Amino acid sequence: MSAHNDSAHTEPESVDLSDPKLSRFEVYKEGLRRDDIEIIHYEPRFAKPGTKAEKRMERIVGGMFLFSGLFATAFVAAFIWWPWEYEGAATWRDPQTWYTPVLGATLGLSLLLFAAGVLTWAKKLLPIEELVQDRHDGGSSTEDRRIAEATVDGLVEDMGLRRRPFLVKAALLGAAPLGLAAVAPLGALLKDPGDMLTVTGWNAEKYNNGEPIRMMMRDGALVRPDMVSVGGQITVYPAIDHGATNQFPTAPVLLIHLRESDAAILRENLYPMYDEVDALWGNFVAYSKICTHVGCPTSLYEQQTQRLLCPCHQSQFNVVDNAAPIFGPATRHLPMLPMTVDDEGFFVATSDFLVPPGPAFWNRPSLPEEDEK
Amino acid sequence: MAASAKRRRGWRKRLGALARFTGALVIVGGLYSVFSPSLYAQEPDANAIDSEAVKGQELYDTSCISCHGDDGEGIEGRGPSLIGVGSAAVEFQVNTGRMPMAAQGAQAPETYPSFTEEEAEWLGAYIEYLGGGPSMPDDLEALVEHADVGEGGELYRVNCSSCHGYAGGGGALSSGAHAPSLEGVSDEELYQAMLTGPQNMPVFADNELTPEQKADIIAYVQYLVNDDKDPGGVFALGRYGPSTEGLAIFLVGMTALLLTTLWIAGKS
Amino acid sequence: MKRRKGTSDSLLTKAGGELDDRFKLAGPTRVLMNKVFPDHWSFLLGEIALFSFILLLLTGTFLALFFEPSMVEVTYNGAYVPLQGVEMSQAYASSLDISFEVRGGLIMRQMHHWATLLFMASILVHMLRIFFTGAFRAPRETNWMIGILLFWVGFFEGFFGYSLPDDGLSGTGLRIMEGMTQSVPFIGPWASAALFRGQFPGTDVISMIYIIHVFIFPLILLALITVHVGLVFAQKHTQWPGPGRTEHNVVGYRMFPNYVMKQVGFMLFIWGVVAAMGGLFQINPIWLFGPYEVSVVSSASQPDFYVMYLDGLIRLFPAWELRIPPYFTLPAVFWPAIAGMGLSVVLPLIYPALERRFTKDRGHHNLLQRPRDNPARTGLGVMVVVFWTIGTISGGNDVFAETFDISLNAMTWAGRIGIVVLPIIAYYLTYRICLGLQQHDREVLAHGLETGILMRDPDGRFYEVHQPLAEPDEHGHTELEYNGWVVPKKMNRVGALEPTEKGFFKPIEEPSQNGGAERRDEIESGRKH
Repeated sequence: MSAHNDSAHTEPESVDLSDPKLSRFEVYKEGLRRDDIEIIHYEPRFAKPGTKAEKRMERIVGGMFLFSGLFATAFVAAFIWWPWEYEGAATWRDPQTWYTPVLGATLGLSLLLFAAGVLTWAKKLLPIEELVQDRHDGGSSTEDRRIAEATVDGLVEDMGLRRRPFLVKAALLGAAPLGLAAVAPLGALLKDPGDMLTVTGWNAEKYNNGEPIRMMMRDGALVRPDMVSVGGQITVYPAIDHGATNQFPTAPVLLIHLRESDAAILRENLYPMYDEVDALWGNFVAYSKICTHVGCPTSLYEQQTQRLLCPCHQSQFNVVDNAAPIFGPATRHLPMLPMTVDDEGFFVATSDFLVPPGPAFWNRPSLPEEDEK
Repeated sequence: MAASAKRRRGWRKRLGALARFTGALVIVGGLYSVFSPSLYAQEPDANAIDSEAVKGQELYDTSCISCHGDDGEGIEGRGPSLIGVGSAAVEFQVNTGRMPMAAQGAQAPETYPSFTEEEAEWLGAYIEYLGGGPSMPDDLEALVEHADVGEGGELYRVNCSSCHGYAGGGGALSSGAHAPSLEGVSDEELYQAMLTGPQNMPVFADNELTPEQKADIIAYVQYLVNDDKDPGGVFALGRYGPSTEGLAIFLVGMTALLLTTLWIAGKS
Repeated sequence: MKRRKGTSDSLLTKAGGELDDRFKLAGPTRVLMNKVFPDHWSFLLGEIALFSFILLLLTGTFLALFFEPSMVEVTYNGAYVPLQGVEMSQAYASSLDISFEVRGGLIMRQMHHWATLLFMASILVHMLRIFFTGAFRAPRETNWMIGILLFWVGFFEGFFGYSLPDDGLSGTGLRIMEGMTQSVPFIGPWASAALFRGQFPGTDVISMIYIIHVFIFPLILLALITVHVGLVFAQKHTQWPGPGRTEHNVVGYRMFPNYVMKQVGFMLFIWGVVAAMGGLFQINPIWLFGPYEVSVVSSASQPDFYVMYLDGLIRLFPAWELRIPPYFTLPAVFWPAIAGMGLSVVLPLIYPALERRFTKDRGHHNLLQRPRDNPARTGLGVMVVVFWTIGTISGGNDVFAETFDISLNAMTWAGRIGIVVLPIIAYYLTYRICLGLQQHDREVLAHGLETGILMRDPDGRFYEVHQPLAEPDEHGHTELEYNGWVVPKKMNRVGALEPTEKGFFKPIEEPSQNGGAERRDEIESGRKH
């Protein structure tokens, strides 16, 4: 008991509880005294019980509870009988579109009214009171501390922790691997990332027995040059099993048919690594759709300004300059997929991406052209 | 930036005056005698130009020529060539009020159209006459009626949602440009926009999306944006997603509860 | 009537006796019921979080009855027409079923989501209250740290919940998380492969997140909340300074019935607000987003608001990538996402220790400080709030740009400059404002209240009559000490004049007992008290 009530109030006397003359209030006050509580102020909310004002307040609170029940009933009724099944496009005239709002309004009103009732009861009908309680802040008393210390010392002594250092060391040596054993099963989660970040669905050796991989649309249709008009773009996928699904998250490619003038600018700007492999075909260019920042699809193609915008963090890439970043947090260009048109007139990737597409990681291999930029 | 825009506006005013003057001349000199030589020069068959195209040219020479140049050849730095864009593009731009453009900016804003639909058709006929180009299917209504909404949804999400948003509310593009909201846009306008790729929008010609697929997308957009009432409540919060939802929890939820705390407990 | 009451009383006594025989309850119950709580509106903010958490458990249990955390591909043929025939994961299909084919499922989903936002928002507001009033000081540092942990566990719990439906938006969020995870030096690719069991998105991540979302994290939250509330209870609530209030007492009302009734009422009120919002405000309309596909994205892709500031930092951070050829890359995203998040966890955790170190204040504090009385801390807090707000706005800068027709690039640049400059300006301004407020308090204590009454000296000088708060000395000064609480600034606050304002936002002032008009005459006639 380090701290004391330093308010101006004097400590109330303790009373004899066996005294039969004690009123209920006096017994109650003795309880407060034992909890170091003192009443500063206590008066009934209404000086005279049963006045008009009190009755009125009771009616208000009672009304709130009753209306709350009414709305709760309405909620249950609406839950059961209001038409709720979705039946295709509907306007606000169709009752089923009001199912959720009606449920929310009835349940909300019911809860709010009950809450208002309880709160009004507490604020307007409970006695006005102000009490002060001792806080007893700070640690335990010195006595308690001494006893606790002695107890712990005894425990150490009983176990002989000081006298048996070997046992302590052995226990620690045993416990350390045991702790490791406890977390070891989490190792089952580990998986060698292998080439998952560097090889994509366009890798002919891995996914198509070395045969060049054609481009396809989402529905599986193979892509011919006449399917993309000037100023147009389509999203294409490797024409392999599940090529257009989430199994190949780094494979989606944006195939763009540039205008003659734009294609000329791009050819002029082309990185040597793409120039060497002749990555363009005619005025067509294919860029990885996966942002090199954190991997959202960079598919906002602005055909007038020749930019690609990523909607997640607003990186912007210049389509006529190897899709190099020109704004935002991205630091690397969108890899170009080298491609050509095969004998049957379909677009085909001549190799996988030359640099890994998508977000960077610490041991990401890069080509010198990138590092210069 | 501002200064150059002002200069350009001044330019436009003078050009407009010039164009109006030319227009007056045209009327005075009589339509046929003025236009026939140039039309004959381009098109040997005189009968090929119908009266609609002639009326279109009249409008073109008063309202479009200052940016798009003589015979739709375009003026470097002001307006692109219109040869080959076709009537669908013209009708889209004119009927949505994007053209004629009030001032050069990041993007032509959508406003009230300056021409009637009939006049837009005339203009379209004239541009079509200059160099052909994609045009609307005659049976769009039937196509949309028989469209597959589910298929349209998949196509919408692959091709359209990246700019116009999942909910069709539009979105920001780079440097002040934006993809407009699809709310209240008619079937024809949706089709025209896909077909012709106005402004920054890529072209989705019939090679990329067949007329049936375009109809599927139109059906989906109309279902999502215009036909179906949001089932989740009275307020859809502009369908902007988490940004307005976050605003709502503070402006509605937290505000209501903070006022309640003030009511429940005192201030001292 | 009377007899029935008597019977029920004795019944109650009897039941109490039976219970006490077995559990020995009389003593502890008395202590509990008598416990005194201080009363102030700002002490109710944490409760919003507590009660929305309970609602989250209730609505979450309902949702778990119908949700299937599986990424098996199915063909949807449910009620929502535009998605019929679309291939999607079982998780997404069952989320659609909850929205369209479970009676009342949609409102439950929406209430769950709104309650989440409310949970996180109220934690933030509660945290600001604790910070600005210095309630985190000894002996309550532990509870502050638990509170910070609660925020971050809630942060990830919320993010995982956002990811579960496996719709287009949540998949985009996971993809960004994958990019962030990959950016960590050395362990990045391995961590990402462990999270997604190989390549993103794989087929396991939803079931893994599910068990975390419905079991592990709720358990941690429950445990932390129990300790958090238990410590508040054991250490007793802080209180504002004021007459009769000291470091060693608590002034307020009893736990029963007053406090408990207000708590129950407030809980129902919070639930009512969430229910109304869940029914009236549409949230996270997953049916618009379609199933997650790696090549599909939407403009205005955002995380929920509590993640948005991190996303904003990622948007604002310049394209700085560290490369040491041939084989080391530190991507730009590492700094805002991993380092930024790490600092956001660690700095608040150690703040109480830092403040102790710099102020060398090692005492216990049970009385709160008004923000103005600690300008440095208040300035720091406002600085963080400004930083966070700019980050959050930048997290939605595309929506902002689109709505207000501003260039997106301009928004980004404004955010980049603003997030560096504005917090510093905010600190300075806050510091000055705090000092000004302090000075005004001292001035009123020394010279009295401004009465608004102008007087003219015989020699022609004008002066305003001040009403001293105590008997002044011969120089007209009063030696009143500032006690850390509101100093009256208006005449009607000391009962000298009729109240000018009544209402909800302004305190309802009692009319002067001794007649305002006479009082005014008295003041005007001289500087008499």
